[in-house]
Amino acid sequence: MQVYLPIAEMSADAFLLVGIGFGVGWLSGLFGVGGGFLLTPLLILIGIPSAVAVASGANQTLGASVSGLIAQWRRGNVDAKMGGVLLAGGLLGSFAGVQLFALLRRIGQVDTAVSLFYVVVLGTVGVLMVMESARAIMRRRRAVRRRLHAHYWMHGLPLKARFRKSRLYISVIPPALVGFGIGVLSAVMGVGGGFMLVPAMIYLIGMPTAVVIGTSLFQVVFVAANVTLLQALQVGSVDLLLTMLLLGGGVAGAQFGAAMGTRLRGEETRALLGLMVLGVAASLLWGLVRPPGNLFSLGPAL
Amino acid sequence: MTKLLVLLLTLLGSPVVAGGAAAQEAPLVADLSDREIEVSTGFTGADLLVFGATEAAIGPGGDEILVVVRGPTRPVVVRRKVRVLGVLWVNGPSARFSGVPGFYAIAGTRPAWQILPEQERQNNGLGLDALPLSSTGARSPNFRAALLALEKESGLWLEDAATVEIGANRLFHVRVPLPATVPTGDYKVEVLLVRSRRIHARQELEFRVDRVGVADRIATVAQAQPLVYGVVCVLLAAFAGWFGSVLFRRG
Repeated sequence: MQVYLPIAEMSADAFLLVGIGFGVGWLSGLFGVGGGFLLTPLLILIGIPSAVAVASGANQTLGASVSGLIAQWRRGNVDAKMGGVLLAGGLLGSFAGVQLFALLRRIGQVDTAVSLFYVVVLGTVGVLMVMESARAIMRRRRAVRRRLHAHYWMHGLPLKARFRKSRLYISVIPPALVGFGIGVLSAVMGVGGGFMLVPAMIYLIGMPTAVVIGTSLFQVVFVAANVTLLQALQVGSVDLLLTMLLLGGGVAGAQFGAAMGTRLRGEETRALLGLMVLGVAASLLWGLVRPPGNLFSLGPAL
Repeated sequence: MTKLLVLLLTLLGSPVVAGGAAAQEAPLVADLSDREIEVSTGFTGADLLVFGATEAAIGPGGDEILVVVRGPTRPVVVRRKVRVLGVLWVNGPSARFSGVPGFYAIAGTRPAWQILPEQERQNNGLGLDALPLSSTGARSPNFRAALLALEKESGLWLEDAATVEIGANRLFHVRVPLPATVPTGDYKVEVLLVRSRRIHARQELEFRVDRVGVADRIATVAQAQPLVYGVVCVLLAAFAGWFGSVLFRRG
């Protein structure tokens, strides 16, 4: 069934969009991430203009993360103080990111930039995740206990604060910087940033795994809301109908994914997610290095 | 279809009823099947029927008909990819074209270049190579060629995609396909009667392509009140997420 997307100004198959939403929602329920990093490239792949794909992807991520956040909040797995610090950085970052996006769009480099960002970020995160989970799987066999977290230069920074839920007494600078970086990427890539935030919280900030998912969802929801708002204001590329179709499939898929996720072990899940992230990065890289079929492209003059 | 038939018959019949004088004054009468193309959320493209009648016989050896449909114009940028660092393909030089029609279709009983002198054809912008496109930026003629190729590929520029059909020597009609990506706005249709390699008569018609219903409301609000639209998008997405979780937890 074809449906006309009013902002993308094109028609697309509604069932395909709901199906993509379902698939991405299923994976995000399984891995506990928003799934924006899969969604935006998929949308671009089926011919949605990248500006619309990025903005609507952020909007969809917001919806997909809300239900997860509610569930985590009920279980008391959200460190609101840490989330607040991350968010303060994230809001600034997303503001900067949307400016960058608008600039890239004016000079006609948005497609390349979005792809490049994906390749670099997903490539790095994917490699780190696969390596870490491989090590964890090995370690499990050898059954060696590791320390809660290591102490290094970061712990000497000023502005220390106590984060009770995370059982941490650290400077607010690292979380704010992490939030800022994720905010920028979120605006440019149309992702919530959960797949980057979760490892950053575990390895950079040293938070306990129990509160990581809930707190990252907290940050993702508000940053995605901010990105949606800014993109709608500045670029005008949020397609509400597209978002709703994706969410329709997404919320259903997420429930199935979450149910299945409880049966998988943490390390294996992370390894799978890492491989998937690497796969997306590789396919986008191929798109950048492959000689294009048509050297010329057409775009609206801004 | 019956409506069309009635219209055709009326058109054909009217000069006869009105008397000989009217027939001499109007060598050409034409009309459109629709004055308003509605783009709803279910829009997958539409066909516009341009039809009419002439006073003298059309077809081989007689008069010829040309139909040109022009959509609203907008500036576009054509970019050429270049290789940087030996591996990456990124957008390089670009040319900016102003006044590019978002839709252009030309059809005739025969191609325009066969029935009109080259000068006449260029002056009237009949045919894709006769479009008055001015550009700034990269100078290479390849950019213009690429623009033509890309617009043709998207189905928004059509040259002799269909021929004007002739019925009963004096009736003509042509179906112009409007793809789903057709831009909204005011369109102009020009129907030309060509006699002995000169434009003998012309009639101009207009129609609009408008978004209607939900699609229209979304696009209008997004453009006119982006802040309200953004807030609505945020709230609706959040609500959908919450509602979904409630729905599936119960089920």
